Amino acid sequence: MFGKLEIFNMAQNMATHAAGRHTVVSQNIANADTPGYRAQDVASFASTYSSNNSAQPIRATRAGHLSPQSAAASGARTFESSDPNSPNGNSVSLELEMVKASEIRQQHELALSIYSSSLGILRASLGRS
Amino acid sequence: MGNFLTTLAISASGMKAQAGRIRHLSENIANADTPGYHRKSTTFEADMLRGRETGMVRAGPVNLDQRTLTRIYEPGHPLADDSGHYDGSNVDLVVEIADAREAQRSYEANLKMFDQARQMSQSLLEILRR
Repeated sequence: MFGKLEIFNMAQNMATHAAGRHTVVSQNIANADTPGYRAQDVASFASTYSSNNSAQPIRATRAGHLSPQSAAASGARTFESSDPNSPNGNSVSLELEMVKASEIRQQHELALSIYSSSLGILRASLGRS
Repeated sequence: MGNFLTTLAISASGMKAQAGRIRHLSENIANADTPGYHRKSTTFEADMLRGRETGMVRAGPVNLDQRTLTRIYEPGHPLADDSGHYDGSNVDLVVEIADAREAQRSYEANLKMFDQARQMSQSLLEILRR
């Protein structure tokens, strides 16, 4: 029942996106001294979520139909960021990764507060405090 | 939660690799005056599991620096040859200190990511608690 509420769905996707991007950023930082390593990043939540949304109206009524899930899952992909290389071919900049980390933190906090405040609204409408 | 566990594992692998690097640096500094000592340098490589990259990092094989050893003039030294010179080490303390600073910076960055993942998962669990 509550999974169909758009705001919960969005908050959940946003938190998942933040966690996934955090994994990629921590991978970049762990490999900050690996020769030849290319920094990676995940497409922003705004772009992936709207593409997830457009996949929703397609209905699969038979087994042979394409499922919307497979299209949605490929929305968040990693791509190489085009930062300048250091002499050993590594393109990780620790400063840039720190900025990304704080962005991710903010996004995650935002998603969780949206989730909990809408949970509060839902509770209030059910008559509990 | 799976993402956070992966993040913690990746950050831990980064810290482990940097700690290994610091260990070799301290060996170099301790042996700066050892005759015939070649400085060790740590390499990093992507960790592979069944042919796939896990995203983790590990310290690779240790390289010995093959630069020529410094010749030290000290005729009374037991290792000194006919000209009064003997082979010292090729450790340059300034390079070692700079390298140690870099390792420390990377270690702190990994630690920060570890801590952030921990805090994020904690605030996620905070929702369950109400």
